[in-house]
Amino acid sequence: MRVLVLHAHPVAESFNGALFRQICESLTKAGHEVDACDLYEEGFDPVLTKQERLDYHDLAKNTVPVQSHVDRLMKADALVLSHPVWNFGMPAIMKGYIDRVFLPGVSFRLEEGLVKPNLQHIKKVAIVTTYGATPMRAFLAANPPKRFAMRTLRYLCKPGASFSYQALYDMNRVSLEGRNQFLSRVGELMARF
Amino acid sequence: MKVLVVYCHPVPESFCASVKSTTVEALTKAGHEVDLLDLYEENFNPVMPVEERRIYNEMTSGDQCAYPEHVKRLMAAEGIVFVYPTWWYGMPAMLKGWLDRVWIPGVAFNISAEGGVITSNLRHIKRLGVITMCGAPMWWSYFVGHPGKRTILRGVRQLIAFKAKSFFLAHYLMDVSTDKTRADYLGQVRAKLAKF
Repeated sequence: MRVLVLHAHPVAESFNGALFRQICESLTKAGHEVDACDLYEEGFDPVLTKQERLDYHDLAKNTVPVQSHVDRLMKADALVLSHPVWNFGMPAIMKGYIDRVFLPGVSFRLEEGLVKPNLQHIKKVAIVTTYGATPMRAFLAANPPKRFAMRTLRYLCKPGASFSYQALYDMNRVSLEGRNQFLSRVGELMARF
Repeated sequence: MKVLVVYCHPVPESFCASVKSTTVEALTKAGHEVDLLDLYEENFNPVMPVEERRIYNEMTSGDQCAYPEHVKRLMAAEGIVFVYPTWWYGMPAMLKGWLDRVWIPGVAFNISAEGGVITSNLRHIKRLGVITMCGAPMWWSYFVGHPGKRTILRGVRQLIAFKAKSFFLAHYLMDVSTDKTRADYLGQVRAKLAKF
């Protein structure tokens, strides 16, 4: 399968950076074609501009500013998101990818003002993430990033596509052993992806 | 009360901009002192750079924020109102980046050196409001779990005063809105803020 791996973390040697490398390595080893998109490394600008907002519903030109990202997304058979959770949401650079690339005519179609899914070529999705919050705190906040992944993203992709949400909570206190365990779990998951 | 209005929309002639003006007007009329922060106008950069992330967990004061002026305004606020369009069931990246880069350790919360335990630091904020425009219908927004609403009303809420009063006021189905629905909505905004 062709797998688009979207990664958002500024520090390459961070734990999230290690997860990203593990994901790409295990997927490649398993024979997948990996398109590794490190949003920070590629200097992605998450700010949707005034012109983009004005052209948002104009299918002839709305994709132009982010054409290469649109092409990569449309070519993918599977998607992996790799990012930390900051303040109960994905980092701005990842949210901006959604804002700017998940356009009408790309990830959805608008029919009579209602959204219809358009990423039905994506058959498999995994989210690999870390939280500073404890599971309890994330639960009390109703875990917004998990809801985005497991409900909205799921709706846009192929019906019945497999979804996996891998999260390591309480990052500031988790032991080295805990981190290593999570890293190998993610590696195993990708090996069987 | 000192109210910080955080506004985020790229188009000055949008409906969201009228909602922002109505918000400022209604709060002022109700006797509040309004501080308007227009993120697009300030050209706020939402991307947390590598140097900032490296020291993030050791941050202990607002001086380490790249936007110290924003920290001062947040610390002076007794109420906060967010005005933004809901994109993909959440706030625009620029507003999310404002939370990432300004609501940092030493400002919004502290991370204890010993145990890594998170404690809140914005207990002086006693009112919280969200005013937003959604393309989706209400039932669908709730069905997908309303992540944007939850990031603020449950996530951000954990960091402000325990008994803070809050509200969430959305205009749903923006893409099929009419002059009447928009005018009604502005009326609701005025009514809500008269009692803020």
